[in-house]
Amino acid sequence: MLTALILADSRFPGGGHVHSGGLEEAAVRGLVHDEPSLRSFLHGRLLGAGLLAAGFAAAAARGEDLAGLDAELDARTPSPAQREASRAQGRGMLRAARRAWPSERLDALPRDPHQPLVIGVLVGEPFEAALTCAYLAVSGPASAAVRLLGLDPFGVNAIVAALPVQDVAARACKELPALGSPALDLLAEAHARREGVRLFGS
Amino acid sequence: MKASARLVVTLDSHGNSVVRVLRSMTPLTLVPHRRVGPVALVHLVSSVTAPLGGDSLSLTVEVGPGASLELRGVAATLLLPGTSGAASSSSVRFLIGGTLSYRPEPTVVAARAHHTAVVEAELDSHAELRTREVLVLGRAGEPAGSLSTSMRATRCGKPLVHQQLVIGDSLADSSPAGLAGKRVIGTDLLLDTKARAAGGGEWWSVVPLAAGGTLATALGEDVVTVTRVLDSI
Repeated sequence: MLTALILADSRFPGGGHVHSGGLEEAAVRGLVHDEPSLRSFLHGRLLGAGLLAAGFAAAAARGEDLAGLDAELDARTPSPAQREASRAQGRGMLRAARRAWPSERLDALPRDPHQPLVIGVLVGEPFEAALTCAYLAVSGPASAAVRLLGLDPFGVNAIVAALPVQDVAARACKELPALGSPALDLLAEAHARREGVRLFGS
Repeated sequence: MKASARLVVTLDSHGNSVVRVLRSMTPLTLVPHRRVGPVALVHLVSSVTAPLGGDSLSLTVEVGPGASLELRGVAATLLLPGTSGAASSSSVRFLIGGTLSYRPEPTVVAARAHHTAVVEAELDSHAELRTREVLVLGRAGEPAGSLSTSMRATRCGKPLVHQQLVIGDSLADSSPAGLAGKRVIGTDLLLDTKARAAGGGEWWSVVPLAAGGTLATALGEDVVTVTRVLDSI
């Protein structure tokens, strides 16, 4: 449980703070501009990308073959920008984890692993791993919304607290999801191609 | 109504793609074209209104090594609820050793429909698959029913693409991270071994898949706009 808390803490030095999970592109286009539109964005992100990531974290925690999971998650992530964001965050998390929680299973991860696999291996318990992953799928974009849009942190926190994160984590433990997020993929690709100032890597 | 249909196309000694097995079952009616050549053409005709709630349809298509098949729809599919409120399902299985182009017409998810559509494709090492899917959320002026689609393709057993799409949760459909409130989603999946660069615009993108192949996606308000974008990619 402590590992899950540390990974979900925004002060964990895994480099997650440079990723907005598509929020920056959505904010630049005016698709997210206030609390209701942020709630809608986070709800969709949780039920799509969040569920997918949480399912893979749970599977990695159950001890399933890591190279096989990595290939399956690639097949479920058509957008190269999304694959790169997931692997960049996995790489960052792995770097910090090697010092804190060295293990043979951590060494068994493929090179530049997808982040959900790292979370699954580190947390080791399927539901806690899924919960950590599902929470991170919305907490990063929520924090980015405060920074990019100047939204009220209390209001944003209340939105995150009301999201069905636990339900999604429980669903993610049942079977390996394959849910796509077409609009999020388009936002990620557009963000990667955007010229000019970008505050976030994704 | 439960129905299963099967189609097998192989290459003959003259280099022609020949329909070897053609087993239709209402409403899945397969209509081959009487032409001889390297590419066989078969139309998939829905011979009664289907699928309705409670229906279960399955289609298996095999394309042998070196053979080439164009399988086309003739009319849009309208997913409707049945009188019992039961769900309907369709499953399509492709076993591809040659080349398959699968072009059904758009699928419209009518209000209160409840449908699951599964497509599974197994490709050999040199096989190619090109398929277009266009989904419309509801007829004019109505909300969409619920639809869950799944597309999974493997090459020599290794996963190439696996995408599920769930339509009908209005919160997720309207989310900028879900379907962004768009009524029509179109995808062109091209599974071959050529490398293509990523590209895109505001509501469309074309991306190289991790294990080979290309996926083009477009979101829009109507079928004409979305298919025009896909055609131009």
